[in-house]
Amino acid sequence: MSKVKTDGKMLNATNKLKNEMGRHYLAIEQAYREGKPTAWATAGTPVELLYAMDVQPMLPENSATVSAALSKSQNFIELAEDEGFSYDLCSYFKTNVGAVLSNAEMNVGGTRKPTFMLSSDVICDTHVNWFQVQAERLNVPHFTIDVPHVVSNTTNRQRDYFKKYIAEQLWELLDFITELTGTEYNPEKGYKIALNSYELGKIWQDIYELRKNIPCPVSTRDTFGGLFPLFTMPGLKSPIRLYKKMYEEAKERVDNGIGALKQEDFRLAFMGIPFWYNLRFFSNLEKWNAIIVFETYVYAFSKFANPNITKEIVINYPIETMAELALSFWYIYDLKTRFEKLKETVKDWKIDGIIMHDNLSCRPNACGMYDLKRKLMEESDIPSLVITSDMNDPRKMNETQVLNQIESFMEILRKRKKR
Amino acid sequence: MVKIAYFDACIETPEEILVAADITPIRLFGNPMIGIDEANEHIPPNHCVWARNILQQALKGLSQDIKGIIATHGCDCTNREFDIWLESVNLEFFYFLNAPLKRDNAALKFFMDDIKELIIQLEDKFNVNITTEKINRAIKEMNYIRDLLREISKYRERMILSSSIFHDLVKNVQQMEKDKAKEMLESKLNELKTTKSSLDKKMKKILLTGSVIDDTEFIKFLENLKYHIIIDDLCIGTKYFWNNVDETDDPIRALAKYHLNKPIYSTKFPSYERFKTLKTLAEQYNVDGIINIAQKFCEPVLYSHPYFSKKFRELGIPYLFVEMEYNRESYRQLTTRFEAFAEMI
Ligand code: SF4
Ligand code: SF4
Repeated sequence: MSKVKTDGKMLNATNKLKNEMGRHYLAIEQAYREGKPTAWATAGTPVELLYAMDVQPMLPENSATVSAALSKSQNFIELAEDEGFSYDLCSYFKTNVGAVLSNAEMNVGGTRKPTFMLSSDVICDTHVNWFQVQAERLNVPHFTIDVPHVVSNTTNRQRDYFKKYIAEQLWELLDFITELTGTEYNPEKGYKIALNSYELGKIWQDIYELRKNIPCPVSTRDTFGGLFPLFTMPGLKSPIRLYKKMYEEAKERVDNGIGALKQEDFRLAFMGIPFWYNLRFFSNLEKWNAIIVFETYVYAFSKFANPNITKEIVINYPIETMAELALSFWYIYDLKTRFEKLKETVKDWKIDGIIMHDNLSCRPNACGMYDLKRKLMEESDIPSLVITSDMNDPRKMNETQVLNQIESFMEILRKRKKR
Repeated sequence: MVKIAYFDACIETPEEILVAADITPIRLFGNPMIGIDEANEHIPPNHCVWARNILQQALKGLSQDIKGIIATHGCDCTNREFDIWLESVNLEFFYFLNAPLKRDNAALKFFMDDIKELIIQLEDKFNVNITTEKINRAIKEMNYIRDLLREISKYRERMILSSSIFHDLVKNVQQMEKDKAKEMLESKLNELKTTKSSLDKKMKKILLTGSVIDDTEFIKFLENLKYHIIIDDLCIGTKYFWNNVDETDDPIRALAKYHLNKPIYSTKFPSYERFKTLKTLAEQYNVDGIINIAQKFCEPVLYSHPYFSKKFRELGIPYLFVEMEYNRESYRQLTTRFEAFAEMI
């Protein structure tokens, strides 16, 4: 393997991300110092409602990625396995169990005992099981939101009562929080937070819009990291400022024809969660002058991609908005929608091929991937590569093998370009 | 008679609705004797083998008279697999029944809405009229079947009926026309009334729990190792006839309630409540031990195992957890573990 080139230029604004996340962790520390309510939340839950109810959220998934980036996740995972949790269970979950068991500090992915936990089955069963396990071990209350599963033949009539069911639970959640903390829901605050979240999501989408340009101004290093405020701080003002800076800088690059890569020969999409313990892996792509211009996983968290949700609806019906959003985003699209969306994305972002991560931790995400790959090729002549690994468990990554697969895939893409 | 298959990781499909539409509900079971190469082209190898096995059968073609499928919300595997069925399996009717995760009032209302939607879609597709009267009649019929099964189960408790024969019976009821099932159960019950126990009283009395266990050969395998499943909390077992549907309530409400009031499944929330059911059963039946079987990669069961293990240890109830491949060769490989447990208890 030749030496990895490091042309990939990160945005200056992304460097500020550390400070932004630092602020998030400080807010958590402060909430503890001051005895304010805190909650663990799983990705896909309406974290906005926690902010609206003056509860400081913590997202253990985010913490788990910190552990992985600092090469601590394997150790935590093994501690969880010693407790009897199977080798085959989600490595985010096990990282969290191990981190809590070993009283890890927040800066290595530890989390503190919260006032309560908020989960949902919108993305996976793991979220619900994970918090059930930890709520029992830490002896804290746990609220879970049941989100009906949308499939390829779900009708609009069904969506209506799905939405009603979710909204009803969100109101129950607010009561649950009031009972625990004494804070009443303030609609004024509720809509302001929803609006901030809307704005945050929209700017994120604008950044993605810029990535349609050739050359692409923003690399995956910016987006994989840049995603965290989206799901830890939706509803706050400060990440909006950061994203605006990212946007402006990217725009400037576009205006000047500057790309994140010096030479951009191949544009790729990445489907799934990256390997947090080995993010430099993605730099390997640069040796083929390839750049990832779209990540379905990252885009998923800019939840306002649903065209039914306008700014007016967000302002007037923040709770119903959250209910509607829970039914459609990249992470949970049914197979048919995933196929359609991928086809559109490939066209709009001028993508040459897709890398799909068959994540050993994440069965819900991996299910259907083989069909997608086949259908994309057969019906739309879009090539994809499925690589098997894990987002947080380095034991499950065979780097040489994966690189060889990518090498062959790039060869295929090269030949296709010549056609 | 039209048949509709259902794919259920628990047992929450309201068969009464189909019966009321003059449709025979056929529950789908795995077949551990087949290869699953075609299913493997759709689903990665670290996903539940049981769910893949059923997909395999569907890809190969279900029986001719099966016109449709209801897949009932279970776990991530079954839920996500539905879209693959839609894409690749050749049937006329597909319905994903969103049996709720939770057990509260909001969930009940939602479940009722989803059952009503199933009725609308069945009526549209098969040009039938599923009236309240017909559903009430179906509820009565199914309640009678549950009564019979509960009666028969008592013979297993008294060690007159073997656990494998009982398992096979429950399985058959889930795949037969209901009046035939009724006849079969009535005649079995009559036979049992005069049967003397031939079972070895020294067999270990076990409470069996875990993932879907649908291969009767596995139960036979346990019997050969001198285990008698005196009670279970399985969907091919007590959860199929735990209690009856209320015949005085609005039928759709009664059906939804019936399913939500049964002891909870590992796939639903809060699944830890299962511990209470298991503890009660273990004490009530004075079992020698509990065996918890996880189908390989069955996340719901894998998540709760350490909690159960801790709780049963505290209670001093012997507990064995086994992860099992869905093939008969793997049973044999587990012999030593089961033998060691039998010796211990
Ligand atoms: S990686 Fe998958 S299974 Fe694990 S928490 Fe995330 S979505 Fe759930
Ligand atoms: S055995 Fe477990 S993983 Fe498989 S379908 Fe049933 S609940 Fe799901």
